[in-house]
Amino acid sequence: MECKGTGGISLAHLNMPQIMELKELMDDMFGDLITTYLCDSEEKLPRLEAAINEANSALCTELSHSLKGSSANIYAEDLSALLKNIEDLARADSFESLPDGFINIEHEFQVVKKELLALL
Amino acid sequence: MVDSPLNILIADDNKSDRLILAAIVKKMGHHVCFAEDGLQAVAQFNEQKPDIILLDVMMPNMNGQEAALIIKSSVGENMVPIIFLTSLQDATDLAKCLDSGGDDFLTKPYNKIILQAKINAFSRMTKMHITLQHQRDLISEHNEHMVNEQEVARAVFDNVTHSGCLNLPNLKYLLSPFSVFNGDVLLAARKPSGSMHILLGDFTGHGLPAAIGAMPLAEIFYGMTAKGFLMEDILREINSKLKNILPIGYFCCVCMLNLNFRKEQIEVWMGGLPDFYLLRHDTKKVDKIASTHLPLGVLSSQGFDCKTQRFSLRREDRLYMWSDGIIESRNDEGDLFGEERLMDIFNANKVQDNLFDEIVNRLNEFTGESGKDDDTTLLEVRMVEESEVGEVNIDLSSGMITGPTDWNMRYTLRGDTLKTFNPLPVMLGILSDVPALHGLSGQLYTLMSELFSNAFEHGVLGLSSELKKDAKGFAEYYAQREEAMKSMGEGSVTFEFDHTPTSEGGRLALMVIDSGGGFDYQGKQDNQFNDQGYSGRGIPLIMSICDSLEYLGNGNTVKVTLSWSAKGLEE
Repeated sequence: MECKGTGGISLAHLNMPQIMELKELMDDMFGDLITTYLCDSEEKLPRLEAAINEANSALCTELSHSLKGSSANIYAEDLSALLKNIEDLARADSFESLPDGFINIEHEFQVVKKELLALL
Repeated sequence: MVDSPLNILIADDNKSDRLILAAIVKKMGHHVCFAEDGLQAVAQFNEQKPDIILLDVMMPNMNGQEAALIIKSSVGENMVPIIFLTSLQDATDLAKCLDSGGDDFLTKPYNKIILQAKINAFSRMTKMHITLQHQRDLISEHNEHMVNEQEVARAVFDNVTHSGCLNLPNLKYLLSPFSVFNGDVLLAARKPSGSMHILLGDFTGHGLPAAIGAMPLAEIFYGMTAKGFLMEDILREINSKLKNILPIGYFCCVCMLNLNFRKEQIEVWMGGLPDFYLLRHDTKKVDKIASTHLPLGVLSSQGFDCKTQRFSLRREDRLYMWSDGIIESRNDEGDLFGEERLMDIFNANKVQDNLFDEIVNRLNEFTGESGKDDDTTLLEVRMVEESEVGEVNIDLSSGMITGPTDWNMRYTLRGDTLKTFNPLPVMLGILSDVPALHGLSGQLYTLMSELFSNAFEHGVLGLSSELKKDAKGFAEYYAQREEAMKSMGEGSVTFEFDHTPTSEGGRLALMVIDSGGGFDYQGKQDNQFNDQGYSGRGIPLIMSICDSLEYLGNGNTVKVTLSWSAKGLEE
């Protein structure tokens, strides 16, 4: 809801020309793709948060890596970059700044989700 | 769309990634199957036999690199390209993907154009790989077929050519293991008379064409030698056969010998082979003997010259014969072995018994590894006493044990034919159809040859055998023989063979009738022709071979009989 009226800025969250190309490629499967991506991410994000809180480096790495890849594939470039950051820190076992980082991700995901749904 | 769709396995733990990849691949017209982790990827690979695998690196249960190792180790010689899917950016990580068996990688976010281009490239490679495998299999199949054919050909060739007497103690030879298909032939066989025929041949060319010509050559050589034909007849026959069957430009360089142990003499016909060496035992002198003819299979029968050269060869004198392979052997530097090196070995030789091995060793040293497949044929022939090479042992042909037993044949030679033609091989050939007599070829040959010369020289030409009692008389005898031959007009010798079966086996009666005036045989017959005056007729020799001998009429007819037993044959 907070993104209402700031649509111009939110466009940067998704690489628009690329996602339009993907939409064309996927054709009538585009809806499935978006739903799948959102479901998958909504299932993984809470697990990632829990892993961060538990300082579970292996699980944290695995989840952030997976989310990073799938986000990149739907051209959510900012989100993918934030996740890469988490993945790198998790790999290095440095958990001090991670909880803050996760809040940003949560926020960014909501923006992306809105944008994606708008494309359907 | 593609003309032949591939089966592509997508292994990625992330469902949205699988959807995107599937969309790209399906758009190209290929089929897809999926795996969600490394374990599934391996299982799907075994089950679906994909042509190309898109494999995520980080997956639960088993990661992509482990899966790639398992898959690559089980593909054998098939080609299944693996494209790693990765968001890894680090060069070392990407290299690790290729090290674990990956063929390429694709980074996230997936780019449709790049993935499609990669799939197309690998599809081409896979197809080329399959074509190569197919062609390799075809070649290997053809090769196997050819090797098999060569083995059969070799077996036939060995059967035809190796029935000779190369294993006799007066012969040493070297025949390269590749000899079947390098066109070299080495044949040796005993004649019914006890002499030995030896033939060293070198066909033009290599391989099957060269081997094929060797077969009729060997057949003729062995067949005619066993029947008692002379060298000239055999060479003439081989020449005309080869001329007929070999294509233009194919021929056989030959050196043929008749080794006469009793006369200590060799008769040589040589066409197209390098000089052979004659090493004298006592003086150690080496004589070179050169080819005087064209190879066999070049000239037509009319143009063919079968003139032979004769040389005396004393006990322990040795002959060395070779195909051009020896002199033309090359070492690693490409130098020829050459005649000079060969001559050096002869000059340096101390013990003649070792000379053969010295030549072989020197040649092996010279050619080293490079000479292993050369056609090197080498033969040493030593003049020995006949007893050293043993009795002539002519194989009994299989089949009917008794053969034709009840028959009569009359064969008359007249005029010029009587003077020039040797009827013995023809007659021996007919007698040899009776297996028991075939085994006695040697004795029969001697028997007929004595009876024939008695009938012709003493009967028709009227020469006196008394002359032959001393050396001077021999010369006189042959002078008279020449004269009598010239002035001889009418005249004939008739052989009448009568073969009858007996309860034991068979009995051959041979009557030889000449047109001469006969002689006074009464009285001589009673004391077994043992007195001086008739020894020239070889009667004791004849008597030792047959069961009975009697002169009939006025002495121009002689009848001998010879019985054989089937029992003796079966043993």
